[in-house]
Amino acid sequence: MTSFPIEVKDLKYTYDGRKFAVDGISFSVKEGEVFGMLGRNGAGKTTTIRILSTLLKRTSGSVEVLGMDPSTAGNRIRKRIGVVLQDESFDFTTVEKAFDVYGFIWGVSKPERDKKREALLKTFELTDVRKKRMWDLSGGQKRRVQVAREFMHDMDLLFLDEPTSGLDPIARRNILNMIKDLTKDGLSVLFTTHNLEEADYLCQRVAIMNNGKILASDTIDALKTGYNGLKTVEVKISGDQVGAESMFSKVTSGRVEPPIEDGLPYRIVTENTQETMQEIIKLAVTESVQIEWLNVRAVSLEDVFISTIAGGA
Amino acid sequence: MNIVNSYRLMIRNVRINTDPGTLVFLVLMPTIYLVFMGYMFGTLINQIPVGTTSINYKEFLSPGIAAFETATAGIVAGGLLWSDRRYGMFEQILSSPYTRAEYLFGILLTTLVFGFIGSGIMMLVSEAFLDYTAVSLMGVGLIVVSISLGSLFFGCMFLAIAAKVKSNQAYNSLTILIIFLVDFASTVFYPITPTTPEALKVLFYINPLTYIADVVRSGYTSTVTGTSLVELLVTFIETIVMVAIAVLLYRKVRVGVT
Repeated sequence: MTSFPIEVKDLKYTYDGRKFAVDGISFSVKEGEVFGMLGRNGAGKTTTIRILSTLLKRTSGSVEVLGMDPSTAGNRIRKRIGVVLQDESFDFTTVEKAFDVYGFIWGVSKPERDKKREALLKTFELTDVRKKRMWDLSGGQKRRVQVAREFMHDMDLLFLDEPTSGLDPIARRNILNMIKDLTKDGLSVLFTTHNLEEADYLCQRVAIMNNGKILASDTIDALKTGYNGLKTVEVKISGDQVGAESMFSKVTSGRVEPPIEDGLPYRIVTENTQETMQEIIKLAVTESVQIEWLNVRAVSLEDVFISTIAGGA
Repeated sequence: MNIVNSYRLMIRNVRINTDPGTLVFLVLMPTIYLVFMGYMFGTLINQIPVGTTSINYKEFLSPGIAAFETATAGIVAGGLLWSDRRYGMFEQILSSPYTRAEYLFGILLTTLVFGFIGSGIMMLVSEAFLDYTAVSLMGVGLIVVSISLGSLFFGCMFLAIAAKVKSNQAYNSLTILIIFLVDFASTVFYPITPTTPEALKVLFYINPLTYIADVVRSGYTSTVTGTSLVELLVTFIETIVMVAIAVLLYRKVRVGVT
């Protein structure tokens, strides 16, 4: 197998001929590596996975998956990959039959299917619901079946499009650990997620995407290096947000990053947390802004992500 | 295209469709038609002219219901594409080692299987509940060809609908409307007579189920004439047209879009 199961150069894709869902991205995934694609909804992660897994034909650029071009060697690539789609996918049957039928369409022999099904039902804690029909399962249970089912067949490369969405923390951790174990045997994984803790736990390298472009791509440690010696002060405001904007525009002791969604705290990346906290409290008093809580912590991948998205937007 | 892959998908389609709901739809509903209509109308209608002879209503209805099963099998085919698109398995299968053509051919094979199983069961039910009929070898041949063409026609028709419509309600409403129209504007339950209104006659004559029912009936009752072969030819041409329409619409089905 090639040492780079995925190599992408200047990949572009447009659905309508006008707006590019993927706009000139380049990256590569090494053998035995978990490569994370991080980005907000509509960033272009799923479209990228669809192109690499041969479901969509690229508009331009060059792509190699397992040393082959997806637009000409689709079937040969598909025989060696696994894909867990972002949207649910299930047959109208029982859980154990869903495993068996899926193994069957992958050409797995009956004894092997039985063996793998039993192991996966146990690993993914689905034994209790094995006789239940798929539509009677909860969203999290369906997701577990969908992820587990993919391991009914062997593969060299696995695409996981937000595989842990809707899962409880224990199920999530089980899946992440299983993927970690499989990469030790040489499996390469392209993984998309909104959960940055997960990416931090699982991925060796990540790419941060926004509006179809890769804004930053490196190892997680290297991405955090730009923040050496810095800390994050989080400030959650209660009450008037307009006043808060005005207040934070006057902060001079650090770089302010406004919340990307309602209900999240403001973040100030700073060298001197003491000075920043004092400045915030003073400004809150003079600007009559009520602070709900205030927190100091080390820079996380989430800070890198938000900072990158804010800088690239 | 690898035929083994399509065969594998056909097995998958049959396995996930052998649920009580589908079996009731495939067997119980036509059986109810057969038994109730056969006995009740059989007492009202004496002889119906078919080819150069005439048969009683039970003999008339039994092959009609067997032909009707081709439309039922078509619904199963359309339902497969619809539910695979709606519940993500279409995209999932296309990210597995299968091509679009293999997927389509797998569904058409499934339609044939359900068409033959349904028609076969109906013939067995006919034998059990109604009068015994001996079918000639030529009759068997005509029945097999006719059921195959009918299953393909209706499979493609409902596939085309499943490829085109966007909502579940629209798919179900269209399916019910078409199945009623196709069933009742055909010679499944009654023959076309000189007093049938001209507008209805047109409907009957463009409906392939009319020809499928007539050919199956002529094979079943050993009343094959030149007309039977012409009807088979018309069914063949209509099937070719419907396959082309279904393939065209199916090619436009995009992944990730329901």
